[in-house]
Amino acid sequence: MSANAKPFYNLLQIALILFATFVMLVPIFWIFLAAFKNHIDVFQLKLLFKPTIDNFFTVFEQPYNLGDKLINSSIVAFVTVLLAIPIATMAAYSFSRFRLVGETAMLVTILATQFVPAVVIILPFFVMFRDIGLLDTRIGLILVNLAIVMPFAIWMIKGFIDGIPIDTEEAAMVDGSSRVQVIRNIVLPMAAPGLLTAGIFCFIIAWNEFLFALILTNRDAVTLPIGLALFKAEEGDLWNLLSAAGIIIMLPMFVLALLIRKYFVQGMTMGAVR
Amino acid sequence: MKDRTLKYLLVLPAVLVVFLTTIWPLIESLRLSFTVGRLNKPGSLEQYIGWENYTWAFFYEPAFWNSVGVTAIYTILTVALTTLFALGLALLLVPGGRFRSGVQTLLILPFAMSPALIGVSFRFMFNPEFGLFDAMFGVVIPPLAEVSWLADPVLAFAVCVMADVWGWIPFLTLVLIGGLASVPRDTIEAAQIDGASGWRVFKDITLPQLAPVLAVVVILKSIFSLKTFDQIFMLTNGGPGTATQTLSHYIYFNGMKYGQIGYAASVAWLMVIPMIFLTYLYARYVFRKD
Amino acid sequence: MASVTLKNLTKRWGDFIGVDNQSLEIADREFLVLLGPSGCGKTTTMRMIAGLEEPTEGEIWIDEKMVNQALPKDRDVAMVFQNYGLYPHMSVFNNIAYPLKVRGIAKDEIQPRVERAAAQVELAEFLERKPKELSGGQRQRVALARAIVRTPKVFLMDEPLSNLDAKLRVSMRAELKHLSRELKITTVYVTHDQIEAMTLADRVAVMRDGVIQQLGTPDDIYNNPQNLFVAGFIGSPAMNLVNGFIREGAFFTANGKQLVKVDAPNLEGVTLGVRADDIKVGESGKGGVEATVYAFENTGENTLVTVQLGDQRVIVRGDRHLRKEQDDLVSITLDPEHLHLFDPASGNKLGENFGVSVA
Repeated sequence: MSANAKPFYNLLQIALILFATFVMLVPIFWIFLAAFKNHIDVFQLKLLFKPTIDNFFTVFEQPYNLGDKLINSSIVAFVTVLLAIPIATMAAYSFSRFRLVGETAMLVTILATQFVPAVVIILPFFVMFRDIGLLDTRIGLILVNLAIVMPFAIWMIKGFIDGIPIDTEEAAMVDGSSRVQVIRNIVLPMAAPGLLTAGIFCFIIAWNEFLFALILTNRDAVTLPIGLALFKAEEGDLWNLLSAAGIIIMLPMFVLALLIRKYFVQGMTMGAVR
Repeated sequence: MKDRTLKYLLVLPAVLVVFLTTIWPLIESLRLSFTVGRLNKPGSLEQYIGWENYTWAFFYEPAFWNSVGVTAIYTILTVALTTLFALGLALLLVPGGRFRSGVQTLLILPFAMSPALIGVSFRFMFNPEFGLFDAMFGVVIPPLAEVSWLADPVLAFAVCVMADVWGWIPFLTLVLIGGLASVPRDTIEAAQIDGASGWRVFKDITLPQLAPVLAVVVILKSIFSLKTFDQIFMLTNGGPGTATQTLSHYIYFNGMKYGQIGYAASVAWLMVIPMIFLTYLYARYVFRKD
Repeated sequence: MASVTLKNLTKRWGDFIGVDNQSLEIADREFLVLLGPSGCGKTTTMRMIAGLEEPTEGEIWIDEKMVNQALPKDRDVAMVFQNYGLYPHMSVFNNIAYPLKVRGIAKDEIQPRVERAAAQVELAEFLERKPKELSGGQRQRVALARAIVRTPKVFLMDEPLSNLDAKLRVSMRAELKHLSRELKITTVYVTHDQIEAMTLADRVAVMRDGVIQQLGTPDDIYNNPQNLFVAGFIGSPAMNLVNGFIREGAFFTANGKQLVKVDAPNLEGVTLGVRADDIKVGESGKGGVEATVYAFENTGENTLVTVQLGDQRVIVRGDRHLRKEQDDLVSITLDPEHLHLFDPASGNKLGENFGVSVA
């Protein structure tokens, strides 16, 4: 390649990037369009059509009741995060600042739980929930979601706390603070952005969680992703309604993902990639 | 309270949660795998039959081997394709600048779609009558225009692979961009001055230094591919027939639809074995000291 | 034959000008040092010669051929990077061999050439090691070996010694000088360390804000600085620069203290430059200029006395047996043979313009 070929290569690169971007965004764009189509237009490949926002209202009515599912998803995700973050933070602080017996073993176990296929642990959960009456409850879902988000939460928060210089804590302890006071007054405020980020990350995971909700819920505690499966009619899937529901599920996730995009890679790879 | 006690108290709740929500179910699952385990037969969850479930799967159940095969091919294809495309896209995006950073940000969007949602979308896009991708493929490769994607075993499988690759490219691309950016610019410039052409620089200098990140990417994606459920469920539900029935789906089907929890648990534990191996490999990268 | 010529070379990033319309001719086999503080454009200039940066304007000629369009790999230059740029996944042998391998040279020719290069930098026993097993100085030498294993037209060195500790820097400097004399290849060397410049260069180009302030031999630069910047940059301790005026054949400090006789017309606003070595310090009352000791430093090999002259200070090098206390009174005498006069406004040397000679 000579220097004279440079403009050609630049153009080629840009063309490839544009093509890739197109491929990556077209499905989203298409769903977006479909959500505004009425139930006739959606079965056709139209780019130009008369848009309607009816779908967004229909999904909240009977028999779809997306509103209930929206509430379920919100509560489950929110409470999961509310429980997970404090528990994870305590553990993360300890792992970060102290040497514990069996520390590596514990950390490896926590790491490994991320890789356990959900299907393996869902079966006992189903049996247990059936026996103690936790099936089809939000509490049950919260419990299993805790299982999923905990490793991520611990790892992300530990990463943040590792990044906070230990000097301030040591100075405070020399000045007379107890360890607990140090955690409360110094570490927590400094780690707050990290906690928030981890919280958002876990919220996204819980919000999108599928398998557990599929198996463990039936009617009352059904969450949004499962709600998608309900849009079947005799003629086929009601794609316009499905798309509208899809948008409702996706939109909050877009916003949240954009907020924490800097930490996504770190979070998902658990620090294997710096 | 002394640090000595406090530090264990701090980790206690987390350890408890992990134990109760993951360790215990794992053990219980193992136990169930040795029982008859029919959901609709009370008492069968305590009826022990030794290794029967496992031997049944191994020697007598073609459906099991079908899902093993499906999962294996699925994993190999998705890992290879996603890594290849992500590497290409990362190389295109790594130079930086406003245009490329903008594209990088846009890549977050498909990332925020859950696999279930991706499954639904692709089912929509490949509908033989009004699917967008069906139409596009039909234009580019005319023989494909008359095809009903999800009704054909091979094509349905292809769609599943496509959906998976599509969904994971953004994440892998972002990881690889980070990896490429961490290759010291000096080494690349030194190679250019030493006389290496663009391709040689990539092969001799960039790729070897990218190797650790690539390894992480491949291992992680393999784990995700092996586990895949949500997308398959919403896209093809394992069909047509069992053409796209991955192991997770097979377990779900047998456990929940047929109520054979014991048997499902045994297959689930068979699935854990490659997972342990992959997790071990991954852990080495997480815990490495450099 | 490998001369390097820069014609009206400019590099701009947006509004920022890194190199400002500079022209320079480097003769074959010359060792030219680009010297200046960080941000002065020296590294940018060298990277443009290498082909790692594209000039915004201007031309670069290597060996009588314009190379603006040529890729780095086609310019036949070799470069030693500040952070060495070694290939971490390759052994030392393969690092050094890489330029040869990439040019398709046969394996049985590569072997002896690599071994010879390694011997020249005294790395022969380390050929099988990986860079991370080597010390800073050893890595430095691998980078050198990799550069000399071909015989390029030009050597480019980007602050190669700045990551080494002080002692190592001194010994490596000597090795570099020895090597460059042996190899006789045109060299462009970038540094901010004026001692390296003085000891290694055939000629020095002092740069600041993208402009060459002065181009000359180390002697020229040291003894005949053309402006205030060069005067203050070269020499350690830095040259004393005293503000004042000239009246009736003598230089006075701004406060009106007469320092020395000069053969120059009356002039308001003049800066006098005089090196610490060109001032003698003696007991008070023995003639010369009276001053109070502000600080006394004993470096072992000599002493440095900073004296207060009104509201300015001047540093004087004294004999290593001298001992003075703070606030002592001393008298200093300036050597009239080694004075420099500058215009504080433009920074330029006075003398050429004024037909002034300093007696």
